[in-house]
Amino acid sequence: MRITASRAQPWLRGFLGEWRTALRITATSFRARAQYRGDFITALAMGLAWQTSVLVFATVILTRFPGLGGWTSGGVLLIVAIRLLSHGGFVLVFNSLIMIPYIVQQGALDGYLIRPMPVYRQVLLYTFPLNALGDSFSALLLFAFAIARVHLAWTPLMALYLVAAVIGGVLLEAGIQTFVSILAFRFTMPMAVFMWFDRMIATFGNYPFSILPLAARAFLTYLLPVAFVAYLPAAVLTGRIASTGVPGWLAYASPTAGPLIYILARCAWYRALRRYESVGG
Amino acid sequence: MPAGTIVAEGLTKVFHTVARPPGVGAALKSLVRPERVPKVAVDGVSLRVDPGELLALLGPNGAGKSTTIKMLCGILTPTGGRVEVNGITPHQDRIANARQIGAVFGQRSQLWRDLTARQSLEVLRDMYGLRPADYRMRIREFNRILELEEFWDGRARQLSLGQRVRCDLAAALLHDPPVVFLDEPTIGMDVVVKEQVREFLRDQVRQRGRTVLLTTHDMTEVAKLAERVALIDHGRVVYDGKTAGLRDLAGVTWEAHVTVETVPAVIDVPGLRLTRSDGPRLSFAPVEGGDLTPRHAVRRLIEYLPVTDIRVQEPDLEDVVRQAFRR
Amino acid sequence: MTTAGGSPRSALLPWRGMRITVITELTQPVRYVTQLTMIVTQLALTYWLWRALYAGVKVSAGLDVTQATSYALLGVLYVQLRFVDRWSNGDTMVQLMFEGTIAYWFVRPVSPRRWYLIRMCGDLGYGVAWGLGAYLACRAAGAIAGPPSLAAGGAALLTLALGLVITYYLQVIVDLMCFWSTVNDNAVVAVQFASTLLSGAFAPLWFFPGWFQRANDFLPFQSTLNTPLSLYVGRLPVSALPGQLAVQAGWGAGLGLFTWWLWRRAAARVTVLGG
Repeated sequence: MRITASRAQPWLRGFLGEWRTALRITATSFRARAQYRGDFITALAMGLAWQTSVLVFATVILTRFPGLGGWTSGGVLLIVAIRLLSHGGFVLVFNSLIMIPYIVQQGALDGYLIRPMPVYRQVLLYTFPLNALGDSFSALLLFAFAIARVHLAWTPLMALYLVAAVIGGVLLEAGIQTFVSILAFRFTMPMAVFMWFDRMIATFGNYPFSILPLAARAFLTYLLPVAFVAYLPAAVLTGRIASTGVPGWLAYASPTAGPLIYILARCAWYRALRRYESVGG
Repeated sequence: MPAGTIVAEGLTKVFHTVARPPGVGAALKSLVRPERVPKVAVDGVSLRVDPGELLALLGPNGAGKSTTIKMLCGILTPTGGRVEVNGITPHQDRIANARQIGAVFGQRSQLWRDLTARQSLEVLRDMYGLRPADYRMRIREFNRILELEEFWDGRARQLSLGQRVRCDLAAALLHDPPVVFLDEPTIGMDVVVKEQVREFLRDQVRQRGRTVLLTTHDMTEVAKLAERVALIDHGRVVYDGKTAGLRDLAGVTWEAHVTVETVPAVIDVPGLRLTRSDGPRLSFAPVEGGDLTPRHAVRRLIEYLPVTDIRVQEPDLEDVVRQAFRR
Repeated sequence: MTTAGGSPRSALLPWRGMRITVITELTQPVRYVTQLTMIVTQLALTYWLWRALYAGVKVSAGLDVTQATSYALLGVLYVQLRFVDRWSNGDTMVQLMFEGTIAYWFVRPVSPRRWYLIRMCGDLGYGVAWGLGAYLACRAAGAIAGPPSLAAGGAALLTLALGLVITYYLQVIVDLMCFWSTVNDNAVVAVQFASTLLSGAFAPLWFFPGWFQRANDFLPFQSTLNTPLSLYVGRLPVSALPGQLAVQAGWGAGLGLFTWWLWRRAAARVTVLGG
């Protein structure tokens, strides 16, 4: 098969061009946000503070409640680490999803529909996610801290799996919030609903689910699939698949749940967008 | 002082904004050490509106109209000067002032988006402490011209701009205030609603004797509604008098631009004078003291000249302001 | 021209503005249905989580399983019901400032401060009603235990009331920041996070390391929720009530004074967009 250079190049140029446009928009948003001094500093500080306190609490739980279903503190820290980093990644790229009710109410969505850029991408570029800087930065630090405390014999394959798990976690959270944002097309949704999902993932994503009763485990695996973010990948890495109660292949394939749900969510999102009726006025 | 008088003397308002130079480096610098720049929005404005009068405050965007009216409402505290509405200084005595004024701010609605318009009005009724009988009477009266019943059971977010403003007008006059402030109330609305609002205002001024101060940048609005107009530009009043006088002062009027097939040797159209000729393109304006309407002028021009294309241009506010300023 | 009489009845009429919250929430099914779903789900998961954590220990940080579970569940209710979303109505302070509708607050016969209080009472009243319902349901289901004594219950109620006052003042401060900084949606979220974490709504404060609790004692958040809940579950004895009340009274008075001063400064600083 011959892929002629002339055929590949325009595609490549177009692709790179789109990235350049996205970056330029991001830089402009950053400049716009940076004008508001107090806002900027607050956002950074708060991101840092919140992430640190989550980690502090996770450590506290470990020291006060030993023997979490047979999981060592290292294992639990691995769960926390994966979740923190995927949340950091999520906030960096997908934070503007929670602004969709606002975007719809402002009528900006109508403008997006006639611009030559995919609407979903325009939504993501809506504003520079300031708090993401704080979140992501601290997530990286805490991830490094947690990983150092996990006593595992790391192989390149495991490291690759870890990276896949983090990316899967980012996409899973993005998929969930994308599904939630579909509601905003039809109803005037409070942002609190997004924050609730965020809180649920943040609160319950840090624990090994083997300690929970069946009903809770089933809910968090199949209904609100938090399990796939960090718990199942960590179980695979630490060799505790048996205690998870899910079939082995499902546990191994957990990083693929994220991309799958994300793709489904985006399709549903665009479908809903087509039926979208703009706000009266 | 008779009830319903607005007096402003030497009103001044200076804002301090942060300088925002372009570039990422400068943006970061302004994070640490922002530069404050004073901006004079209103510079010594003096006005007087007597009871039962409607004064239009006319000016281009950024002229200081909204700032002035907000100082008259008591929302902004003036940096200098004196203002009295019905003997009360608005920014010092907001509660007492609130009972004697009504306000509508263009494009900003008092209505709660998730409530029906009727529910919003009821909340305001409670806020003003109106008696139910008075409230019902007032609503009936407003309904006559504004036709609120048609849509007031719909949620405010579903109402059109025109419907919302009609509700806001009712809300502003619910407590029967002698003084009404309107800040560009018909901005962005279609002609039908604008005329409806104007009819309502005319009725309120003539029948109920209310004092109305209206800001606008629309010359047509001024022409159709106000006998008195104050022209404000760059924070200063450059003209304060009769509306007709403004036109005469500025010497600006509507113009009809025609394109003719062949230029006749003699151009003589009664009631119109030739202001410009450029080959087949001619421009006409009404003669001094003439009262020819654009519509009749068009008919007359078509009668008298071999017209292939005709266009009527309303006087541009910029022209009026420029001319008035030059005086 | 009719004016409102000086009768006490007409002075109370503006308080009917509390209805706005109730009408908004109850006339849109999507709002209370999602609210109910979120509460039920989170209560159930929280209950199971805490019972699971306590599978291996009897007492931790001075709390046994019943105490910790009750505390955690009440904390969930607090977070869910404290913040009524005003955004869809266009009524958050940020929106009012940004869109300029705040101007109307200054031309009404009710002072902005009084109107703000009326609206907050509507929100908090609505939240308390839901909270009460959920509390009774949890008691019936046995998920939340009753207080160890009537006195403890009374002490919890008293400190909760004062805690709500402090919460109100903190909210005022955040909202009034809008008059000084143009964009502050991040500050709002920041204070929400802080008050959730530092008040003990996220997890009982007793579990946090000692230095954390010591530092937190200098902040008002722990007195809004941790105090009443600790009294309720019996972690704090009723004898601790006078001391706690003194702390709350101190914060309430200080914050009250500060917000009173802030309102005066805010009224002088109104810079409404557009000109």
